[in-house]
Parts: sequence; structure tokens; C-alpha cells
Amino acid sequence: MSVLAAEWIKFRTLRSSWWALGIGVLVSLALTVLGAATVIGRWDPARTSDQAAMGIVVAVYVGVVLAQLPLGMLGTMTIAGEHASGMIDTTFVAMPSRVRVLLAKAAVLGGAAVGASLLISVPGYLFGRFVAAAYRPSLLPAGAWTVIAGGTLMIVVTTLLGLALGALLRNGAVATAVLMAIVLVLPALVVNLPWGEQVSRLLPAYPALQLIEQVPDIMPDWAAFAVLAAWGVLPLLLAAARYAVQARR
Amino acid sequence: MIEVTGLTKRFGRTLAVDDLSFTVAPGRITGFLGPNGAGKTTTMRVLLGLDAPTAGRATVHGLPYRELSRPLTRVGALLDATAVQGGRTAEQHLWWLARSNGLPRSRIGGLLGLVGLDHAGGRRIGGFSLGMKQRLGLAAALLGDPEVLVLDEPGNGLDPEGIRWLRGLLKSLAAEGRTVLVSSHLMSEMAVTADQLIVLAGGRLRADAALGELVRPGRSLEEAFMDVIGRSAS
Repeated sequence: MSVLAAEWIKFRTLRSSWWALGIGVLVSLALTVLGAATVIGRWDPARTSDQAAMGIVVAVYVGVVLAQLPLGMLGTMTIAGEHASGMIDTTFVAMPSRVRVLLAKAAVLGGAAVGASLLISVPGYLFGRFVAAAYRPSLLPAGAWTVIAGGTLMIVVTTLLGLALGALLRNGAVATAVLMAIVLVLPALVVNLPWGEQVSRLLPAYPALQLIEQVPDIMPDWAAFAVLAAWGVLPLLLAAARYAVQARR
Repeated sequence: MIEVTGLTKRFGRTLAVDDLSFTVAPGRITGFLGPNGAGKTTTMRVLLGLDAPTAGRATVHGLPYRELSRPLTRVGALLDATAVQGGRTAEQHLWWLARSNGLPRSRIGGLLGLVGLDHAGGRRIGGFSLGMKQRLGLAAALLGDPEVLVLDEPGNGLDPEGIRWLRGLLKSLAAEGRTVLVSSHLMSEMAVTADQLIVLAGGRLRADAALGELVRPGRSLEEAFMDVIGRSAS
């Protein structure tokens, strides 16, 4: 618990943390508000209450897609910044279990990502309901929970992938570039290739977009959740394994 | 009490520390001397669990550093005072350190006073001079009131008044019965600070003696040091 508390203090005493969160939330909210207003204005007046509620939830998580950029960068900088400044040595002198330090950082960042996601989705949802009031949207239809869980997992995974890459590459700029390649560039490139659909299933972007209903389904939802979660967990385990080995070398 | 036994550290093909053995006793200041690249910092890093030894062992209170619980309460360390994130204030930096070892935040104010940073606690470290960063690093080392202190070149960047203050601080810490290992390349400073001297060159132990054994009338520490290094080099 002390390690977690120390990492939480470190996180909130750097202004860059709040800048990243603030930019992520504001940009996403702006997109959500604009998007929701535009999309809802074009709805078929015959839409049911459930369809309206679903449309609002889907519109909200389009905004969360954008927040991946600042939060992913926050993930890389949280650890790469310590390696670059050399403060990582002070961290490991105070807390010799490197794996525990990494997991504490993951917990803090994961919490920040969930917080950011809520700060985008709750106001976005309320705004959507206000604009779509004429459709009398229901509260949250059954299908909405997949979108909410998928969208939240998407932003958490990107943040943790950033942390893992920062820990593995130790250089914030390089780690951010690799993160962007995995999350944005590669998925956009492979769709044009003959075996693109197969590869897309395994990259984080398509499963995330499928879960938030932005692309056609090409795999079961459980598979999309599994692939997405693996991108959050496996690189982090790799980084933890490397810290564990280094401590013994 | 610090014990280093048969310590060897190899980085690839470079032998940084070669079968080094020594102990550092409490109640006095032990100077850790040697030319650049002698292996002083590497030895300290192994001692603090930052690098694992290739062979041999380094222990504090009889245990490898990484096995100490709440290590800041056992060992205070200052390695590179500039290796801090400039965005935090001095207080915030000491706060996360204190919290990491379950130490009360209330210790911070007194420590900042002790190292002469009373009025700089709320300022960002990024704007600190090297001397101020050294003082902050010393406050961090003393945070857990440890019995053992491992300080790598703590005098770097301090002005003459600061050096004098540091000398007094180290002496009083040793007088309280603490174990103080302090590296330096400033012979003149070590000559008036240290009680015991451990001299390294090329990763090997060249001398481990009381200051009085190395320095005699008509022979300065600098001359003694050159003798020790030169004798081994030939």
C-alpha cells in the first residue's frame, strides 16, 4: 500500500499529469458534444426509446477514442520521465521491488484512465439525453453496457500499453511513437492489405471500435474484449519480467 | 555496518569492481576515494541494490539491501543529486519518498530546515542550483533517520560555506554512532573530514587505513593517494 500511495503522490504532484488528463477530457467532450448534436439531429423520428438511448451512448464513446492520445502519452511519460531524469534510481532505492513499483504505477494510471473516461462519458451522456429529449430515451438499454465496458477498457488499455512501452523503451518520445504506431497507424494501414481483416482482429484498435459500435462486427464480443485486454496486460507483464530480471543481473 | 565481501561487478567486458572486500564501521566517517572510473559509484550502486553483483556480496546490517524492509529507515543514500524530476517542489519530492516507507510527512519541515532549505520547500526543484539539489538529496537521505549513510560526492556544487556546513553535519552524524560512507575526489576535503579512508583504483582495493596512517607530517593526503595509486599501477 505504501508503494501505491507513493506513486499516487508522484502522479498528482506533476503538472503534466493534469495537463494530459485535462486535454484528454476537454477535447473528447468537445467532440462528443459536437458529434452528438449533429448525429441526433439527423435521427429518424420513429426511433424507439431504447434505440435513442443506445445512440447517445455510442456517440459518447466516439469522444473517448480521442482521449487515447494524451492518456497514452501520460502512460509512457510516467515511467520514461523517471528513467530520463535518473530519478528511477531514487525510486528503486526507496522501493526495491521494481515489479511492485510498476504495478503501482499501472494501478494509478488505470484509475486515472477510468476517471477520465467517466468525466467524458457522464457529462456527454447527460448532454445527449438533453438534445435527444424528444425521443424519450430509456436509461441504459442492455446493449449499452458492452459499449461502456468496451470504451472504458479501450482507454485503460492504451494508457497501460503506454506505461509498458515507456518501461521497456525508457525513452518517452520513442515509446509514444511506438504506441501511436500500434494504436493508430498499423490498424489504419493493414485494412488495405489482403489479409488485413485477420491482422485487424489482433491489433487493439478494431476490437475496441467493434465494441463501441463504430465498425461492423468481425468477431464475437468476448473475443474483442480478450484481444483488447491482452494488449493492456501482456506488454505490462513483459516489462515487469524485464525489471525482475534486471534486478538480479 | 557495511560489509563488502569479494565483490566483483562486470559490465559486459568491462571489469568495474574486482574482488573488493572492506567493512565500514559505525561512529566515524569513512572516505571512499579513487580516481574517476575507479568503481566507487558502482560499489555504492551494488550496495544499494541498484545493480546486482557478478560475484561476492554487499550487505548492510548483515542483509543485502533489497531484503531490508522500509529501507529508508535503515540506510540513507545520496547518489546523483541532479537525478530528480524538476516539476515537483522540494516538499513534494520528500513527501512521496516519506510515504513510500511509511514515514510521517511531519518530518519534512524539520529536515528542510536542517539542510538549509527552509524557505525553498515550496519551490520547484527544476529551479534549484546544484548546491540546493545536494542539500535536498541530503534531506532525502536523512528522511528515515537511518543508522547508515551512503553518500556519493555530496560536496559537489556546494560553495565553501556549504562544504564547511556539510563537514560539520557528517561529523555530527558519525558522532551519533552512525555509519557514514562518503565518496569524494577532493583530497583536501577528505583530509579534514574522514577518519578512515578506503582507496580504490581500477576496481581494486588499494588502501584501507586510518587517516593518520596515510597522512604524516610532510606528506599530504594527496601525495599519499598518488603513492597508493601509483604503486599499484606499476
